[in-house]
Amino acid sequence: MPIIRALRHRKIGAVLIGLQIALTIAILANSLSVVQQRIAHMRRPTGLDEADIFTMANQFSGSMTDLSARIQADLARLRAIPGVVDAVAVHSFPLRGYGGSTGVTRTSDLKASSVNAAEYSFPERTLQTWGLRVIAGRNFTATEFKEQPVGTDWAPPPVVIVSQALAKALFPRGDALGKDIYLTSSAPTRIIGIVERAQTPWAANESVLFGAENAVLEPIQTVSPSIAYVVRTRPGRNAALLAVAQQQLYTLSRARIISEAQTFAETRAERYRSDRSLILILAVVCLLMMMVTVLGIVALTAYWVVQRRKYIGMRRALGARRADVLRYLQTENLLIAGFGAVLGVVMGLAGNAWLASAFEMTRFSAAYIIVAAIMLLLLSQIAVLWPALRAAMLPPVAAIRGH
Amino acid sequence: MIRYHIELALRSLRRNVVLTSLMIIGVSFGIGASMTVLTALRALSADPIPAKSARLFSVRIDNWGPDVPNNAAASDLLSYPDAMALMRAHQGIRQTVMYAPVFSVTPRSGDAIPFTATGRAISSDFFAMFEVPFAAGMPWSKADDDDRANVVVLGSKIAQRLFPAGDAVGKTITLGEQNYRVVGVLAQWRFQPRVYDLSSRLYQETEDIFLPLTTAAARRLFSYGGSYCDKPPSHDWDLMSRSECRWVGFWVELSSAAQRPAYLAFLRNYVAEQRRVGRFHWAANVALLDINETLQAEHIVPSEMKISTYAAFGFLTLCLVSATGLMLAKLGGRATEFSVRRALGASKAQIFAQCLAEGAFVGVAGGILGLGVTALGLAFERAILREDYARLIDLNANAVLTTVVLALVAVTLAATYPAWQSSRLAPAWKLKAE
Amino acid sequence: MLKMTHLSKVYRTEVVETYALRDFSIHVKEGEFVAVTGPSGSGKTTFLTIAGLLEEFTGGQYQLDGADVHGLNDNQRSRLRNQKIGFIFQSFNLIPDLNVFDNVDVPLRYRRLPGAERRKRINEALERVGLSARSKHYPAELSGGQQQRVAIARALAGGPKLLLADEPTGNLDTQMARGVMQLLEELHRDGATIVMVTHDPELAARAQREVRIVDGQVIDLAAPARLIGESAPQPGA
Repeated sequence: MPIIRALRHRKIGAVLIGLQIALTIAILANSLSVVQQRIAHMRRPTGLDEADIFTMANQFSGSMTDLSARIQADLARLRAIPGVVDAVAVHSFPLRGYGGSTGVTRTSDLKASSVNAAEYSFPERTLQTWGLRVIAGRNFTATEFKEQPVGTDWAPPPVVIVSQALAKALFPRGDALGKDIYLTSSAPTRIIGIVERAQTPWAANESVLFGAENAVLEPIQTVSPSIAYVVRTRPGRNAALLAVAQQQLYTLSRARIISEAQTFAETRAERYRSDRSLILILAVVCLLMMMVTVLGIVALTAYWVVQRRKYIGMRRALGARRADVLRYLQTENLLIAGFGAVLGVVMGLAGNAWLASAFEMTRFSAAYIIVAAIMLLLLSQIAVLWPALRAAMLPPVAAIRGH
Repeated sequence: MIRYHIELALRSLRRNVVLTSLMIIGVSFGIGASMTVLTALRALSADPIPAKSARLFSVRIDNWGPDVPNNAAASDLLSYPDAMALMRAHQGIRQTVMYAPVFSVTPRSGDAIPFTATGRAISSDFFAMFEVPFAAGMPWSKADDDDRANVVVLGSKIAQRLFPAGDAVGKTITLGEQNYRVVGVLAQWRFQPRVYDLSSRLYQETEDIFLPLTTAAARRLFSYGGSYCDKPPSHDWDLMSRSECRWVGFWVELSSAAQRPAYLAFLRNYVAEQRRVGRFHWAANVALLDINETLQAEHIVPSEMKISTYAAFGFLTLCLVSATGLMLAKLGGRATEFSVRRALGASKAQIFAQCLAEGAFVGVAGGILGLGVTALGLAFERAILREDYARLIDLNANAVLTTVVLALVAVTLAATYPAWQSSRLAPAWKLKAE
Repeated sequence: MLKMTHLSKVYRTEVVETYALRDFSIHVKEGEFVAVTGPSGSGKTTFLTIAGLLEEFTGGQYQLDGADVHGLNDNQRSRLRNQKIGFIFQSFNLIPDLNVFDNVDVPLRYRRLPGAERRKRINEALERVGLSARSKHYPAELSGGQQQRVAIARALAGGPKLLLADEPTGNLDTQMARGVMQLLEELHRDGATIVMVTHDPELAARAQREVRIVDGQVIDLAAPARLIGESAPQPGA
C-alpha cells in the first residue's frame, strides 16, 4: 500500500506516536480496572442502616464507680431527643477502624483451625438501632443480655448471633443455626441467630474473602469508661441531631470527652479515604496522559502537513478533493494508532499480570483493554482532525509556491 | 562555543513558541506528576532516625508457642513479664519498655472542655534512644523510674495549650485523679514514620504526655494501644500484667550493629531459662529488627502510593516520548539551517551540541514549571490523602533540586535522537533550492 | 589554488553505478574568476560540492590551496570549509531565525574568534556589500538582492581563499542580478579567487575564463568565450 510506504519516511515520528498511544492504553486500562475494583470495594455495605446513623466516642472522666448508671443515663438522654429513634452504647461498630477480634472454632480443641471474626458487644436494642437483618433464627431475648464491667474476668456468652459470612465459613453446608461454637474458650457458645451482614471494624482494609464480614454479636453491655454511642435517627435527621446530642450529653455531665462525633457517611468516607485518593490520582494521571497524547499527535501531524505542503498541493493539483486529503491523513493516523493500540493491548495485559501478582488484585477482563484501545483510537482520530482540516484547506497552488 | 549554543537555543525556542510551550508544558506535567508521588513516597518511607537506625532494635519473643492458632510469628509486642525481665537484665547500652495509655485532661482555665491526650509510658532511656529534643527541662531520672515518681514530660503542643505562658516545667497537672509534676517540655518532635509503635497508625503525631512506665503500672493505667491475647483477655490490670497477652513494646539500643548476635544470644538464653522454669515448651523463637527492618516488615508504603507511583512514572515516560516527537518535529523543520551551518564549517558535534542545548533548555524550563505543577499536585494530594499521610507531605529543597535535575536529564535524553539525526544531515543536502 | 586531476565521482546504488564526474581535471589559479557552465545534469553541482568539500570524491586528486584533501575526516573537512571557502548559494540559505549581523557571524563562531575580532570582520564585510545599515534586520525583511548580498558578506567575513558561487543570481530578477554580479566582479578585481557555476551564458561571459562540463568531463578549457559572449554588454561599460 502506498500509504504505508509513504509512512516509512516518517518512521520514527510514527513509532513515537504509536508508543504514546500504547503507553496511554496500557496505563488507562489498568487504571480503569484498579478504579473499578476500588469502587466496588468502597461500595460494599456494612449491613447497617448507614443513612440514619451517627456515632460518638465517649470517654468518661471523674468517678468510675457508677459507670453503668452513667451510661444508662446518657442513653436515656439520647433517646429522649426528638428525632432520635434509638441509641446504644457499644465497644465498637463496623468501619470504626478499631475493635476486638476473636478466633472461632467448631470444637473445644483450641488448636483446631479457627476462623477470625470481629467480636461485637451487642447490648439490648442494638439490632434495631444498627438495622441489621436477621435471616435465620432470632434476636436475643431480654434475659440473655449481661453486663460486662471493666476489670472483671471475661467468660464467653452462652448464646451469640453470627454474620452469614462467618456462619458459612464455619459451617459450609449452611446448618450453622443452633450449633455450638467456641470463642477461644472451652465453654461452648450456641448460635441462635444469623444476620445477613455485619462488617468488621477494619473492613475497609479487608476483602470479604479474608473475613471482612466475619462477626460474632455477643449479648453483652460493655461497661467501660471508653465506649461508643451509636444513634439511629428519623430519616434525614442524623447530621442535624449530631450537634444536639453532644450538647445534651455535656449538659448532663461535663466529666467526659466526646470525640469522633460524626455521621456514618463521614466515618465511611474517612475509612475509604485512601481508596478515594487513589481513584482521584489515577483519574488525574489518565486525563493528563490523554491530553499529552492528543497534543503530541496534533503537533507531529501539523509538522508533517507543513513538511508535505508541496506534495499535498500536488495531489490537489492532480485532482484530489479536499475530502480525499482529509481521508488520507486520517487513514494514516489510523494505521499509526492501530499499531499503537496493538502494542498497547500487549503492554496493558503484561502490566496487568504484573500488578495482579504484585498487589493481589484480580486480573481485568478483556473489556477494559478494549475500551481503552477504542477510546485512544477515537481520541487519536479527533486529534488529527485539526491539522488534517488545515491540510485539506491547502490550495493546489501550494505545490508550486514551495514554502 | 557553549555560550553560542545557549544563545541559539534561546533564540530558537522563542521563534517557535507554540511547539516550545507544548514541550515545556508536557514535560512539566510529567515531571510534576512523578515528583508529586515521589515526594509522598519518600515522606512515607523515610528513615525517621538515620544516624541510629542500625543500632535501635525492636525485640520480639514468641511467648505463645507453635500450638496457638493465629500466632503471628513475631509480634512487635511482648508480654508484660517478658518486657520487665529484659528491662531488668539491662543488656543493651539503653533500653525502654513502652505502652500507650490515654489521658483525659481538663484545662485549668474556666469551663474549658476536657480533651483526650495520647500518652506513652516508657523508661527514661527512651528520650536519649530516639533523640527526643527538649525545649525546656529534661528527662526524668533513673531514680524516678525506680521510685514510680509522679512525673511527666509534655509534648510541645499540649504544653502550649495548657501553659500558654511557656512556664510548664515545675508545674503540676492533673491526669485522672492524680497530680503529676512536669519535668520537661519537648521541642517540636516529628518522628515519622512513628516506628516504635506499630499497632496504631504509623504516621500519627508523637504523643502528648510521657511518663515512667513504672508509674503508669502503679496507677494501673490500661493500654489503649495494641493488645493481643492467646486466651480471652482479662479486664483486671493485675491479671493482665501476669498474663501472656502481648501489649508492651521493648526497644534496645546497642553500641553498634555488630553487637546484634550477642544480644540475640542473650535472648535465646532468656528463652532457655524460661523453658527451664517450665513457662515455655518450645525452641526459642526470637527476633531483633532494626528500624529499617521493622519498617520493611510493616509494608509501610501503602499499595495506593505504589500504584500511583507506577502510573506517574508511566506518565513521565509518555511525556518524554512526546517530547522526543516534538523535538523531532522542531528540529526537522530546520533541516536547511543545519545543512547551511554544516557547509559553513560547523562540525557534526557542534550541530549535535546546539540541538542538545535546545533540549536542555526545554528541560530546565519544564523542570521549573514542573515545580509549580508539583506544588499543585502536592496541594491536591494533601487535600485527598488520609490526614496522617497528608501532614507529612511538603516540598523540600531536596525535592526541588531533584525535580529540575530530573527534568533536565530526562529531556536532554529525549532530545538525543532528534539531535543526532539533525547532526547527520549532509552539508550539501539543501545547497540548491528544491 | 584549486587543482583537480583525473578526478572521478561515482554514485553507486544497488543496481547501477553512475559517473557524475569522470577523469575530471581543472586548475584554478589564485585571483582567477572562473565560470563553470554546462547543461543540466552535466556534473556542475557535483563539481561544486566536491570543490567545497561538501562531498568526498571517488578517485583522482584534489589539492586545495596547495594541500591534498583526499581522505580527510568530517571534522577536518568542516574546519577547512570554515577557513578557506566562502559559499554563495542560489537560494541564499540565510538562517531565518538570525538577523543579518548574526547570519554573517555564523562561520566566524565556528572558528572560535574572539568577540571583538568577529564584530570587526562582520562590520567590514557588511560595509563591503553595502548593508551596514541593515545589520539588525531579519532575512525576511530584505529583498532577494539584499539577501544575496548578506550571503556574500557571510562568505567574505571569514577571509576565504576561495569563493564558490552556485547560480548566485538564479533566484533574482534582472536588476538585482546585475547588482550582485557587479559585486562579484569588484571582489575579483580586489584579488578574490571565484568559481561560479551557472547555466547563464551571459553571466559566464563576464568571468575571466569559462570551463564547460558535459557528461562529467571538462571538454573545453577555452579563454573567455568570445564566441558566445561577443554580443553581451561589457561589465562596467
